[in-house]
Amino acid sequence: MAVKMKAATCKSADKILEDFIAELEFDTCHHRIGTQDIKCGFGLQGVCCKLCANGPCRITPDSPKGVCGATSDTIVARNFLRAVSAGSACYLHIVENAAWNLKKTGENRGKIKGKNTLNQLAQLFEIDETNDHQKAIKIGEKVLEDLYKPRFKEMELVEKLAYEPRYKRWQELGILPGGAKAEVFDSLVKTSTNLNSDPVDMLLHALNLGISTGLYGLFLTNKLNDIMLGEPMIRPASVGFKVLDLDYINIMITGHQHSLFSHLQEALVTEYAKEKAKEVGAKGFRIVGSTCVGQDLQLRGEHYQDVFSGHSGNNFTSEALIATGGIDLILSEFNCTFPGIEPICEELMVKMICIDDVAKKQKAEFVQYSYEDRENISLYVIEEGIKSYKNRRNKIKINMPINHGNDDTLTGVSEDSLREFLGGSYKPLIDLIVAGKIKGVAGIVGCSNLVSGGHDVFTVELTKELIKRDVIVLSAGCSSGGLENVGLMSPQAAVLAGNSLRSVCEQLGIPPVLNFGPCLSIGRLEAVATELASILNIDLPQLPLILSAPQWLEEQALADGAFALALGLPLHLAKPPYITGSKIVTKVLTEDLEKLTGGKLIMDDDVLSTADKLENIILSKRGALGI
Amino acid sequence: MACLGCILGCMAEHNEKGKSIYDLDLEDRTNESRNHIELDQKQNPIPIVCRHCEEAECVITCMSGAMTKNDETGLVEYDKDRCAACFMCVMSCPYGVLKPDRVNKKVIMKCDMCDNKDIPRCVECCPTKALYMVEVAK
Repeated sequence: MAVKMKAATCKSADKILEDFIAELEFDTCHHRIGTQDIKCGFGLQGVCCKLCANGPCRITPDSPKGVCGATSDTIVARNFLRAVSAGSACYLHIVENAAWNLKKTGENRGKIKGKNTLNQLAQLFEIDETNDHQKAIKIGEKVLEDLYKPRFKEMELVEKLAYEPRYKRWQELGILPGGAKAEVFDSLVKTSTNLNSDPVDMLLHALNLGISTGLYGLFLTNKLNDIMLGEPMIRPASVGFKVLDLDYINIMITGHQHSLFSHLQEALVTEYAKEKAKEVGAKGFRIVGSTCVGQDLQLRGEHYQDVFSGHSGNNFTSEALIATGGIDLILSEFNCTFPGIEPICEELMVKMICIDDVAKKQKAEFVQYSYEDRENISLYVIEEGIKSYKNRRNKIKINMPINHGNDDTLTGVSEDSLREFLGGSYKPLIDLIVAGKIKGVAGIVGCSNLVSGGHDVFTVELTKELIKRDVIVLSAGCSSGGLENVGLMSPQAAVLAGNSLRSVCEQLGIPPVLNFGPCLSIGRLEAVATELASILNIDLPQLPLILSAPQWLEEQALADGAFALALGLPLHLAKPPYITGSKIVTKVLTEDLEKLTGGKLIMDDDVLSTADKLENIILSKRGALGI
Repeated sequence: MACLGCILGCMAEHNEKGKSIYDLDLEDRTNESRNHIELDQKQNPIPIVCRHCEEAECVITCMSGAMTKNDETGLVEYDKDRCAACFMCVMSCPYGVLKPDRVNKKVIMKCDMCDNKDIPRCVECCPTKALYMVEVAK
């Protein structure tokens, strides 16, 4: 008798998820990681070059240079800058679409849900308009104008958006970005065959891209979305697979561009949609959050309680979510939309629609989103959702993990909602830090990957270690998805914190790990840091604040990392970003940069030694401030 | 496919600074592999690894007793402290695997099957399973 051997799956910080995936009959990332565990040493060290026909060239003691003469420093710097450029391009694509949507919302007198943010930006950008729609148009246009500038023209909004001491430093270093898209374009030119060979010049270019990524791709995307979709409000919410309600037609969303779903969110709860759903035996439609766009919707969940069922999980939970059988349609517009979801969708008859070709899946139907076509697209999605539900539900076996997630994750934390929660100013938080009740602040951000101990393992362990040492953790990115599903963003997680932090959390009724939502919210963390620094009248590198993207996955994370280094913050990564083959690149990023921007890359794949290093940085910064 | 994974694995395993791939300085000439990859007449890559021969020429020709055959494990072992660096083993190895170290030319780069590892690092690092382990009955 043939016995089907089950492939071993990787570890996960989320044990219910780990057990659920281990029993699945589908092939997932958690199964495939074992088939890819022999890694290429040249790739890991970043010293493989295939920019020309003479390649691939690899650096060894016997062959210390490529055929062209490129050294390990040149090869590593080129590969690194290319990765940062691609990541930067991704975030610029997101802000570009958001800005167009805002402009068109204004032109069509659409709904403005975040008036405070609209006025904040209008004032910051010195827009002299009284009409809200005119303000929206002008804000959208200002952002687009900057993105489309040539490289030799500095973007105008940088000076308005950046913290003043930072702007000055960037000016001194000559890394103020010209038109953001042109900067990406020329970094591709720079890193092509037999062009730039100067590792330091390429690293400075990476910092330049980091600035536009952070201020536009992250910070402004949030703000533009807040205007169109509503501002985050702090509230408890359900998370995990338990948010799936099988009585509804469930639409899973994957991506990063919340504004592309703006119309659909309203359309799904109209009488028309509800009636259509009832005709096929469903109670209505629900959007199930997955990946960062789900996290973004969760952040603004207060405004969408009737259509949003909650956030299910991050990148590496998406395959498992579909495998439950409870999803009827997947709507995607960006990463992380793994190719691995396609065979599962096929097997479980899940319709896939993609509304932005940058994330076009082979098996998905492509329907290009445009503001003008939004109504038709929403109607089409409703129609396809109905069809899929009717066609598949009686043929599919539902397989749901028991008790996955929780109902009291504190969500909706943003730079503005947190300030409001603290009573209108960040002063109380500063007082707690000065008094030593909170030792410092850690931003645990980025993705999940499957190589740093398993899915979310390093993220969760490092977070637990830091809160135990009275360091409050703010999270943005897929890291939030992992941390909330294991309960670290629920108020009762306070018991895991050190005594001082625990008492602060219990007094305020908050968890020791605050949920800022998607990776885009790394821009919100920057806003919080800037506000803390400006109250104290110091520059960002002086703050007792560290960043870690322990389980970074993508090129986008490296662009975020470049932003963190430009801001002058210590940045930890568990897995080296393919740079260790170059002594110059490694030295610049881990040592010399401290003298330039104040930032510093820390590479460490051990949780305890990482926590020690990060805590020591916090302590030494406290010492320098005399607190 | 000449990915050189076995070579990097061997260099990393014998690196005094640590066994992780990240500890390996790829520009340091003292980091050396005990195996290598050559191209045959048809330009196909062939891994050259120590066979730990039954009748090992390197053992037979070794005058100082540095190369010995361990009858229990079947491995051909090398003791660098007894080696006179006469290179007879290098000349006699029918597979061309042995070579003196490239910097000082004092020590023979000899496979030790990674001492106590169950699976040698070169086999562990081979993504295509071109290198694999089989127990040979005596």
